[in-house]
Amino acid sequence: MANQETQLLDDVIAKSRRKMLTFGLSSLAGLVAGASAPIAKAATASYTDADILNFALNLEYLEANFYYLATFGTTIDKANTASTAAGAPLITLSGTVGTPGTVSGGSKVPFATIPVASYAIETAVEEGKHVQLLLTALGSAAVAQPAINLGTSFQTLAAAAKIPGGSGFSPYASDATFLVGAYVFEDVGVTAYHGAASLLTSSSNLSTAAGIMAVEAYHAGLIRTTINYLDPTGATIGGYTNLISALRASLSQAGLLGAAPSAYDSNPDDFGLATFPVSLGGGANVTATRLTDADSTNVVAFARNTTQVLNIVTGGGAVNGSVAVSPATGVFFPAGMNAGPNGFR
Amino acid sequence: MAKLSMLNDSGVSRRKFLAGVGASAGAVAALNLAGCGKSTPITPVSPPPNQHVVTDADILNFALNLEYLEASFYLYAATGAGLQASDTTPGSTATYQTAGTVTPGDAAAVAGLTTAQQEILNEIAFEEQAHVRFLRTALGTAAIPMPDIDLSFFGPLAVAAGITTAASGTGSFNPFASFDDFLIGAFIFEDVGVTAYSGAAPLISASGVSLGYLTAAAGILAVEAYHAGYVRTTLTGRAIAAGSASAYPYLGIANQVEALRATLTVGASAAPSTSGSVETELTLPTGLTTASSIVAASAADAVGFARSVNQVLHIVYGSPTVGVSAGGFFPSGINSVFATTTA
Repeated sequence: MANQETQLLDDVIAKSRRKMLTFGLSSLAGLVAGASAPIAKAATASYTDADILNFALNLEYLEANFYYLATFGTTIDKANTASTAAGAPLITLSGTVGTPGTVSGGSKVPFATIPVASYAIETAVEEGKHVQLLLTALGSAAVAQPAINLGTSFQTLAAAAKIPGGSGFSPYASDATFLVGAYVFEDVGVTAYHGAASLLTSSSNLSTAAGIMAVEAYHAGLIRTTINYLDPTGATIGGYTNLISALRASLSQAGLLGAAPSAYDSNPDDFGLATFPVSLGGGANVTATRLTDADSTNVVAFARNTTQVLNIVTGGGAVNGSVAVSPATGVFFPAGMNAGPNGFR
Repeated sequence: MAKLSMLNDSGVSRRKFLAGVGASAGAVAALNLAGCGKSTPITPVSPPPNQHVVTDADILNFALNLEYLEASFYLYAATGAGLQASDTTPGSTATYQTAGTVTPGDAAAVAGLTTAQQEILNEIAFEEQAHVRFLRTALGTAAIPMPDIDLSFFGPLAVAAGITTAASGTGSFNPFASFDDFLIGAFIFEDVGVTAYSGAAPLISASGVSLGYLTAAAGILAVEAYHAGYVRTTLTGRAIAAGSASAYPYLGIANQVEALRATLTVGASAAPSTSGSVETELTLPTGLTTASSIVAASAADAVGFARSVNQVLHIVYGSPTVGVSAGGFFPSGINSVFATTTA
């Protein structure tokens, strides 16, 4: 596993100097007038590349356990016949920073169709490899797997999103509900890696993060494509994507800590699979379906800062009014994420 | 992994990366798409020293050339016409001052689409058009005009990939003929777009990072990966629905395209899904316990691939030859300081 790439990643992290950096993304708005990408509120923070990669590792623990449980019926640290047959990495939970927790909830989906079952296996294996990559790269600086709730968390979120029957929603019930569960995660992964990209100091870490982000976006495209194929009119799961995206946009907006609430309505940073009018080559408007989670003007994928991401995965636990809460707890991370002294949680 | 390890060498210069130095060109199978079909042996050469200091504008303009190509393809597929003229003009200080034209070949609105399929085509066309406009606006007066684009090159490309023997006319490959043919046309571009942005993102300067160029490039990279995910998922899904590779030949055709791209990726030209390649073959899942192969990423750690500017150039020119400055989709070359293949 320790190939040249991860070894070099390790070296760079070890040597990486602590730095002061304005926390927040240079927005496209600075480049293009009228750009609709959100601008993260600036705050000053001191952290290393390892802190950023550990933030990503928390998210990968969450995603990988979800896919392993849904696909194989086991967590990432316990092999069974199905996970072994699929070649899914068996993860040794070697991270020691922070407080180790347990994974609760989740069960094998009774998959009935080959497309969804095969996509689930592929995604589980790939997310497992991301956990392994980050654990190996971070070495002794890696955070422990925190407490993760993959059961009641989905009901809480589904109810908050106003999905019909949300308080009883289970992503493990069927092929269709599994896709909805996966939808909850993938676009968020893209925005988190995207937000982190410009904060990383070493170009090797950047290229690795860009490569992982690409994989998350492939997954997100896969999920959106499949949901759209199964429900092109948005009557059921296609429509749920809009409800979930609206909730994520709302939680993300709150994560900007004090930005005018009105900014959200006209300027969300998340879109489901709804249709919208577009002009092609200067012609009259035609209808397009949102295949990507990107702004409508420049079609550049959204980026989120760590507070925004935390507020989504904790269901609002990262923000109290206009003040950031640390550690953020709730929903998927009942005891919060794990982080080093200057890390993000 | 060759490309990532090159990036990981902290001493590597931007120029060195762009030139693709370190690539073992000798292993590349000889191929000459634009010429008479004769094999052309490859000779490794060193990049010329000290010519031009690469700027962020050079990198964004390189990307803009690719976006002109993608937008033209998708707009024709969705509507039967390309970019409007005002989206192709040069910025006032650009090195290149003449907007090119599109040779349409078979280009036409794809017929026989379902409403859902048409709305996805509209979406991708709109998004690539938006990328053209975004890069043009970001570059301002430095924006290069659209170069000459040849959409009839799909025919010779398909011949080179071994898909058919006719380069044009009856029996030739036409990506505008049906939805499945369109998927193959899109497949030619999308994974390449992802790797091109992945390769370019770390080249952006520190001042470019603070100006938001890196965030922008990473955000476009993600959108290209969404598109690639759509194309690969749809090809795979239609093959599963058909029940076998022979019942849905397009999965195999996509893999032939991929094998050609691998051959043209000078310096990382191993066969797809083998060590050293930057390509992942599509597979046909046959049951509830077999994995799909939607994502193009390294088998070891599921990290997406990157290509150097030079490797991308070889693909869009359809030539593994060093010193080539035009061909393939760009009959007059791209409008860029990187217009000539260097390794």
